[in-house]
Amino acid sequence: MMNDSFYPFSAVVGQEDIKLALVLNLINPAIGGVLISGEKGTAKSTLVRALSRLKPDTRVVSIPLGITEDRLTGGLSIESAIKKGIREFEKGLLYAADGGILYIDEVNLLSAHIVNILLTVSSMGENIVEREGISFSHSSRFALIGSMNPEEGQLKPSFLDKFGLYVEAKGEKNTEDRAEVVRRRIEYESSPRDFIEKYEAEEALLRKRIESAVRALGEIRLSEPQYALCADIAREGRCAGHRCEIVLAETARAHAAWNLKSSVDDGDIKLAARFALPHRMRALPELRPEPEESGAADASGADQNNAQDTPADLPENGDIDLNGDSGKEDTSEIGEKPNLSISSDFRIKKLLLGSGKRNKAKTSSRSGRYVKARIPVKKTNDIALDATLRAAALYQRSRERDGNAIAVRQSDIREKVREKRTGVTILFVVDASGSMGSMRRMRAVKGAVMALLDEAYQKRDRVGIIAFRDKGGETLLNITRSVDLAEKELRVLSTGGKTPLAAGLLHACQLLTTEKLKDPDALQYLVLISDGKANVPLMSSDARKDSSAAAERLRTLGIQSMVLDTEKGFIEYGFAKELAGLMGSTYVKLDAISKSEITSNIKEMIKIQR
Amino acid sequence: MEKKTAYPFCAIVGQEEMKRALILNMINPLLGGVLIRGEKGTAKSTAVRALADVLPERAEVEGCRYACDPSDDSFWCDECREAAIPKKELFRRMRVVNLPVSATEDRVVGTIDIEHAIKHGEKRFEPGILAEANRNILYVDEINLLEDHLVDVLLDSAAMGVNSIEREGISYTHPSRFILVGTMNPEEGDLRPQLLDRFGLVVNIQAEDDIGRRIEVVKRRLAYEDDPEAFARLYSGEQKMLGERIEDAKRRLRSVTYSEDALKLIAKISVSLDVDGHRADITMLKTALTNAAFRGAQSVGREDIAAAARLALPHRMRKRPFDESALDLFDIEKMIEKSDFYDE
Repeated sequence: MMNDSFYPFSAVVGQEDIKLALVLNLINPAIGGVLISGEKGTAKSTLVRALSRLKPDTRVVSIPLGITEDRLTGGLSIESAIKKGIREFEKGLLYAADGGILYIDEVNLLSAHIVNILLTVSSMGENIVEREGISFSHSSRFALIGSMNPEEGQLKPSFLDKFGLYVEAKGEKNTEDRAEVVRRRIEYESSPRDFIEKYEAEEALLRKRIESAVRALGEIRLSEPQYALCADIAREGRCAGHRCEIVLAETARAHAAWNLKSSVDDGDIKLAARFALPHRMRALPELRPEPEESGAADASGADQNNAQDTPADLPENGDIDLNGDSGKEDTSEIGEKPNLSISSDFRIKKLLLGSGKRNKAKTSSRSGRYVKARIPVKKTNDIALDATLRAAALYQRSRERDGNAIAVRQSDIREKVREKRTGVTILFVVDASGSMGSMRRMRAVKGAVMALLDEAYQKRDRVGIIAFRDKGGETLLNITRSVDLAEKELRVLSTGGKTPLAAGLLHACQLLTTEKLKDPDALQYLVLISDGKANVPLMSSDARKDSSAAAERLRTLGIQSMVLDTEKGFIEYGFAKELAGLMGSTYVKLDAISKSEITSNIKEMIKIQR
Repeated sequence: MEKKTAYPFCAIVGQEEMKRALILNMINPLLGGVLIRGEKGTAKSTAVRALADVLPERAEVEGCRYACDPSDDSFWCDECREAAIPKKELFRRMRVVNLPVSATEDRVVGTIDIEHAIKHGEKRFEPGILAEANRNILYVDEINLLEDHLVDVLLDSAAMGVNSIEREGISYTHPSRFILVGTMNPEEGDLRPQLLDRFGLVVNIQAEDDIGRRIEVVKRRLAYEDDPEAFARLYSGEQKMLGERIEDAKRRLRSVTYSEDALKLIAKISVSLDVDGHRADITMLKTALTNAAFRGAQSVGREDIAAAARLALPHRMRKRPFDESALDLFDIEKMIEKSDFYDE
């Protein structure tokens, strides 16, 4: 529906990397697709949708986020079973995508179960369905194209690896280009048909060039030394498995074909490495600076660390031009293995990755995304109708139907298995008042938050910060699982003023209560970092009485908590310990206020209580 | 059930920014909707519900489940495409379709028709809220409390204007182009960045400060509760005029022009704010064009850009903690003032 009104590929301003990566995939599907990651509003999905017009025989099948298993893999056809009494396989999207492109917009939001199916099928190249009395298999080879905004979370490494290439989308930064983007968009919207017509000549040229590249591709091969170079690059990047070499070689071939060359040169391989490596490179331990663990140096260390790893500074040089030939950049002779090193010659930076598997818990409530069906263990009120019908369909010939087309019995009932992103919510409540070392404390908390979020991809954990200082509590970082967002929001930290502890705690109660409404399955933890010396009252005239009252309220709400006591000095008052007693929380006296001290204590608490 | 006469849009006291944002979206549905941020009891939902009554009736294909526009075949649903012509037309007002926060996914995107399946052994698609919302207003109260997976499907449709269903044995696609209007109380948490960016415009509203106006709010409300119909009659003239003005602006929108200067100014604003992507620029120009059409101008002027910046930028500026973002908007206004922009 409406394919004919998509915004044309060649009318997109800039985004040369994405265009090139997509075109290379059209020329050589063996590359295996591309993951486009980047800020919102950068024509990511516009470009993918426009692809179908560039190579008319390529199918682009889109997977909506709400897809259920049966439509992805295919299954028993209900209609054939009931009406004709035969078992027939109804094909799913994996069948439709065979030989074409499978596209997922917002791919980082796809349900874990669907991701697992995609992983299995794409590594086997075959979709095997064994269920509901159906046994069917068919070839399912496709290039996987995904687009995502990393602010909403990352992909797990095994899934990342299935995307041949990786490119970064960024908005244009100069005024002229930005103006052109707007001009074209407005023109398109005022009359899509005329606009498409206007760019048809350019599209036709592009189509032709792709067509001839496809023809040329068959003749283009890598030399032995070039294969060795690919292997070297993959090894130096510590990429797992052999997919990296294969992708490098296939991409280099496609790039040579695109530039109408008869053989691959090192420039092609270089370009391939720029796209094929970022999401596959593993940590190089000797290159990774040990983060410093104390005081002010800690925060800046974390900052630097991030700046180095952030995908945002990936391919910065704009020297890859869709129309130009890139032969200019490298002149080493073919046949002789060039001495290139990825660290110096490729300027490739590793992606910031979580390591483990992202956890999407199955939820028992009726909320969450329906991904598949199962035989209910006990009585259910969340019936999966489609699965129930498929189960019943098999027996219709032998059943009394009472005038209906289908008779359903108790034994046919299937229930929905729903999936929901769950995890732990950790809310920091931090003393940012003027007492000594508050800036250091804030930086340490920031470091801890970034470290926790870094791992949040595997556990779906979410972190937030409330700071209290001067007049009251303020949400510094709303509960989030986004590293990018945290980085943005925590760029500036302010400290100083008095200590309104009670206000901070009550603010936290409020935030966690609303959070509970949104996400009832998540476990909540509150981490109070303070010496407990409140001096701004909230309700009465006694600041400490008020904070005690707030602490008790936390306890009655049943919020798990931990107090990290930062009290220092010759005379110890033990106010924080007292609060911990009232909150019913774990109490830890911090030896040093540092990122690692905070994170390790929190991890310990979560591990014990999980 | 007898439907109670809605509170008239024109009787809402103050809240000019919100009213402006809603009206601009009615004129130009491609603006991308409005997010209304504010405290409870600030006429947010009253305004949205009242809005639909302002516009005159418009044509729909009779019997079409997606209220397809008989005169625009580029967004017809499959049934309308396949149906034999001529199509019968039906005249109805635009509707406000509610998406409650507690809705289940199958009700939102649509699902398999149970009754039909059991009686006839055939799969049939039972449309959901996204179907109903086509060519209408999709209203989500407390949108920041919407569950993640519902936000995801909403994102899919809002981006494409199409709802694709691949679930529960059903494979179906239908148009779902709606004006998304969301309300939220920022104290109850933020929106996910991706969804926030989908909203073309954002308004922050507060209760009236002025005592005189506060009294007026209460007076009108009481008068309305007392006799809704009589109250509505008081405003019927004004309502009709507004409706005609919107219709007129709709017709003229396509002929409103903008200068190179206007375009450059918009790009400059975005560059100076370091916004993500290009949606801010595009929305600003569209909003400025629409605003010009609404005030009856031939081309985009300084005031249109100022209005557009106020509505399209607040949620796209990178927020700094302990920092008043109002200051930035003030800077922008100065920038617009100072620009060497030729005003007709």
